[in-house]
Amino acid sequence: MAGLISIYAFDELWSVSNMVRYGLQALQHRGSGRYTVCSFDGAVKCGAGSSLDEIQQHASGWFSIAGIHSSDSDTAIDVENGGVRIALIVERSYSELESFARSLVKNLTSRGRVDEALTAVVEEHQHQVPSFGAITSRGEAIVYRGLDGLTPMVLGSYGFDMAFASSESVAIEILGGDVRKFLLPGEFVYISKNHMRISRVGCSNCRGRLCIFELLYVARHDAVVDGVSVYGFRKKLGSRLASNFDRKNEVDIVVGVPETAIPYAVGFAESVGKPFELAFVATGGRLRSMLFQNPLEKLIAVHLKMNPVRGVLEGKRVVVVDDSMVTGATMKTVSQILRFRIGVEELHLSIASPPLVGECPHSVMNLDVRSLLSANLSEDVAGKYLEVDSLTWLSLEDVDSVARTFNLCLCAKCFGAEFVGCR
Amino acid sequence: MKVLVLGSGGREHAIVKLIMRSTARPRVYVAMDYRNPGLERDSVNSGGRAYVVNTVDANSIAKVAEEVAPDLIVVGPEEPQFAGVSDLLRDRGFTVFGASSRCAEVERSKAFARMLMWKYEIPGRLNFKAFRSIEEARKFIEFAGDVVVKPARQAGGKGVKVLRDTQAYLSRDRAAVKRTYVEKLYTEMERYRDIDYKILVEQRVEGVEYTVQVVTDGSYVLPLPAVQDHPHAYSYDIGPETGGMGSILGPGVVLPFLTIDEYKKSVEIVKQVLDALSKEVGESFIGAFAGQMMLTGLWGPTVIEFYSRFGDPEISNLIPVITSDFLEVLERAAVGKLAGAGLNIEMDMVSVVKAVAPAGYPDDRAAASNHRVAVDEASIRKVGCEVLYASIELRSDGVLYTKGSRIVEIVCGGRDYEDAYRKAERAVQYVEILDGWPQFYRSDIGSPELVRERCRVAERMRRVYTSRAKRGMLGQMLVWVPGEGVFENPLTGFVGVSKP
Ligand SMILES: Nc1ncnc2c1ncn2[C@@H]1O[C@H](COP(=O)(O)OP(=O)(O)OP(=O)(O)O)[C@@H](O)[C@H]1O
Repeated sequence: MAGLISIYAFDELWSVSNMVRYGLQALQHRGSGRYTVCSFDGAVKCGAGSSLDEIQQHASGWFSIAGIHSSDSDTAIDVENGGVRIALIVERSYSELESFARSLVKNLTSRGRVDEALTAVVEEHQHQVPSFGAITSRGEAIVYRGLDGLTPMVLGSYGFDMAFASSESVAIEILGGDVRKFLLPGEFVYISKNHMRISRVGCSNCRGRLCIFELLYVARHDAVVDGVSVYGFRKKLGSRLASNFDRKNEVDIVVGVPETAIPYAVGFAESVGKPFELAFVATGGRLRSMLFQNPLEKLIAVHLKMNPVRGVLEGKRVVVVDDSMVTGATMKTVSQILRFRIGVEELHLSIASPPLVGECPHSVMNLDVRSLLSANLSEDVAGKYLEVDSLTWLSLEDVDSVARTFNLCLCAKCFGAEFVGCR
Repeated sequence: MKVLVLGSGGREHAIVKLIMRSTARPRVYVAMDYRNPGLERDSVNSGGRAYVVNTVDANSIAKVAEEVAPDLIVVGPEEPQFAGVSDLLRDRGFTVFGASSRCAEVERSKAFARMLMWKYEIPGRLNFKAFRSIEEARKFIEFAGDVVVKPARQAGGKGVKVLRDTQAYLSRDRAAVKRTYVEKLYTEMERYRDIDYKILVEQRVEGVEYTVQVVTDGSYVLPLPAVQDHPHAYSYDIGPETGGMGSILGPGVVLPFLTIDEYKKSVEIVKQVLDALSKEVGESFIGAFAGQMMLTGLWGPTVIEFYSRFGDPEISNLIPVITSDFLEVLERAAVGKLAGAGLNIEMDMVSVVKAVAPAGYPDDRAAASNHRVAVDEASIRKVGCEVLYASIELRSDGVLYTKGSRIVEIVCGGRDYEDAYRKAERAVQYVEILDGWPQFYRSDIGSPELVRERCRVAERMRRVYTSRAKRGMLGQMLVWVPGEGVFENPLTGFVGVSKP
């Protein structure tokens, strides 16, 4: 996962430097602190770094593309062809990045129409091109949403002055803009000095499916993804989860693992009629621990999220709700804290997604099948390892029917299904 | 009957089309700045002819008028009104439909229009400050917050900066732009010798925009159906300000996002302004007048600006829906006998207008000019739509060339938005720039999705203003500066929080 933000001012009076900073800050949860930025102020300039201060210094002029990633490799490039320079930032590691960038700049200069150029290059790359932002030394900007539709791209605007494109709607709002359109898979925006067009790359048998983790985990609760309120979706899954839980009358309190699981817990609590309580307070920024590649960094992020709130939970029968279970490391931490440091009476774990059983074939999510808890441990062993009194999941059918009510089409390969929703 | 229409663009072509349907079978003459192929052809077909003449030059126009000896003259655009063309024509004894220069002041000077609303306490007014000198503007802008900066004179749909400033963390960037922009705008405005005020800074509002046009003879006011224009250049309300990329009307006199009550309130505002205006300038307003409105949380119907003429492209939306004799309406207004006149429209129809423009419009008109264009009118008609020619010129080589602004307007009627939208989307394909230069239009205008989105925004605004009305807060926006007091000064921003 990663976050991209593109800012284009139609009036050259603007400098996007600060906006790049706050835009990236709003997307911070989508990566692990590796930033890239390319800007245009008459010429193309790029920079990278791990602090926003540094990034801000690289951003100047009246338009920029920028990204936050979890990995450094093959996510940004800057090449020249026939006197035209192009800088490209993609939304996930892409091994063909250089060939794609070269071919794109070549086609842009040789063909009159952008539609034709982009369609040709995407076709040449077997329709595998991930979402990207690009700028050229001719003063053009292109934002594209991959045909696979795995990650979203949102268009926004600020008055008569600026256009924004962002992986997540929140960055547009943080920049004082209005969300205008959710790009469809294969759709792109082209802007040059005198022109802007929105068009779609042709592909006859491409089916766009959004990565299920976008809605389950990655996007902020306040985001709207492809027209769907993330918070609303999560609450709904939470209440669906409650209907799979058969001890509704034998528990006292519902809590969520911070901070991604809170809406699921709210939906769960509402549905079982038990109070929702705050159990943990996080220290530091709102990073998505799962997006860290290094296991130690991941654990550090988990541990920093978990200082327990004392007083309310002691001696209680508690339902802990989480959005998903990957390695179980988070849950193990939670159960140890709740049992040893708080002293809860019972601990019931409810996961608002099905068991994860496979890796991500699109390398959107970094999942290693050897360390997936549900792919390796039996339910019984898992319960003992995690020290929970019960373990409840959502079934694929549950997620499918909720996805359908929201009109979503989600890739669910890592859960062992081609897709959920899509009808 | 002979009618002389003044003006060169899409609006005038719409007027000509509307009046040509009259049972009076008028011979239509046109005075235009360049050879607009649509105006030229339609005037000739009606038995009249077109003159190419500088339309802001009152004497040349008077000469044409004397040659034609029309029964009625319709002044289309605002600039000839500002330049006193309607005045001279009336002095020479012609029957004129079109505001006098003094009445047209309400469009020419946005400062005058705002002051009028405050002086007569007309609802829907915004806080503002107008500046004659750059020094004053410079000083004020340092403290300005969530505001719109615009030319104080009508400048043809250009120069407005809407600067939402509700994020303190970005307010320095916005302040920097405001500062530079005020300097730039002032320099641009200096070329207008006909106004004192150069720059207007006003309260920013948000909501859904619509235009309420009326025809008046100075005492009776005949309202036309509400129309919604789309000022952003590109689809989904993105991009620079234009004169309007298309508009929608119907069904009936309101739009789907506007209640009858809101429409009536808007008409009421327009009437109050006309009253106030004639008191203020001591002349009655004869012609078309329009309030460009926004349904806001602050007031409900709120005034953004006024037109002392028909809106362009707003007037075009009437073509598919109007069943009355439009010429008769204009003529009765011009001679002061409008009382009792009505306007019949197809109540269950909608209309969608889309402009097609060359790349470069609106910011680089030179680049957008001189491209060869083909318009396949027959195919457009087959789809059920009409073409209005706008910024397009027929040259002596018999070829059509772009003149830098919107080339044509496509006008389509339909049973509902889905129907009219579908037609319009097909019809725009028949306009083509031949030399490969890119062209654009807004594919979102008239789409049922966009109409639904407008309804959602309007619903939100409705909730805000009805609740404000209950609390007696309509139009008010309070600022509390601790230690200083509570002020009504929504123009001050974060940078200036210490002093109002
Ligand atoms: N106070 C305001 N708050 C928010 N938006 C505004 C405000 N004033 C103007 N706008 C926006 O700017 C646009 C143009 O403003 P305005 O009509 O005053 O300028 P203009 O250049 O004369 O336009 P027109 O083409 O309509 O003649 C409006 O349609 C509206 O979208």
